[in-house]
Amino acid sequence: MTDEVLPTSDDLDNIAEQVWSAFLADGHEAVVDGAEPVDLDADLAASVAIVGAFDGHVVVTSSRDGSREVASALFEMSADELSADEVGDALGELANVLGGNVKSMLPAPSTMSLPRIASAAHGHWPGTVELCRTVVAWRGNQFILILLSSRQQDRLERVVA
Amino acid sequence: MLGIVIDDSKAMRKILRKFLEGLDFSVLEAGNGREALEVLDSADSVPELALIDWNMPEMNGLEFVVEARKRPEWRNMTLVMVTTESEHSQIVRALASGAHEYVIKPFTKDGMIDKLALLGLVPVGVLS
Repeated sequence: MTDEVLPTSDDLDNIAEQVWSAFLADGHEAVVDGAEPVDLDADLAASVAIVGAFDGHVVVTSSRDGSREVASALFEMSADELSADEVGDALGELANVLGGNVKSMLPAPSTMSLPRIASAAHGHWPGTVELCRTVVAWRGNQFILILLSSRQQDRLERVVA
Repeated sequence: MLGIVIDDSKAMRKILRKFLEGLDFSVLEAGNGREALEVLDSADSVPELALIDWNMPEMNGLEFVVEARKRPEWRNMTLVMVTTESEHSQIVRALASGAHEYVIKPFTKDGMIDKLALLGLVPVGVLS
């Protein structure tokens, strides 16, 4: 049996800091895991699936306002001017970039899906377990980045059986 | 100079368009590889540079590179993958298929300019 070294919350912190500073640099500093997570009123969840030597998902969730702030920064438009498609596109691209960087720390080879956007109420990933998460505070909003594993769940089920 | 940005994310296309326009490029856009082939077929001239995402619907970036390399009239178009795909084997695959350079998202403006300068597409020291 091979011992897999999987990303930790510290790794997610580093990835989030790198992505926010390169991708969303706008003079508003992102505080990664520096704020106590509030009961986030998450409206949107963007995720990418990873399949291969590691099976799981990378998910980023935020409120509607937080998602609009991401789109506002990427499109350089006022939040009021953005369409729902543009907000989804921006949050999806954020999940894509975060997911790609998380994937680089996972066992290879694996492939990553296109981003999927869902209302947070429908953002369920059955048969998965959470491996780690981090919280990003930026522009007065919180974003939660989560790494879910499907295979870990398989292993747990085998142990229980 | 003319460039084409091939990415399924409208937000990323806007970011890359703005970046290239800042370097005095005119910019074409396509949302996937298939659309890029159509845009290039109908363009008045061949771009000097294509910035290509990997994961896209319909035709991905690697498939586009393979198709583009079959077209001798596009041989002077520099193909740069701009993607989150960072597995070594995938990078080697893209370069072996005909991509000239590889940039991993998230990129910085300075890092991207350095890559383009190495490819001779912007003057060295354009930042200073």
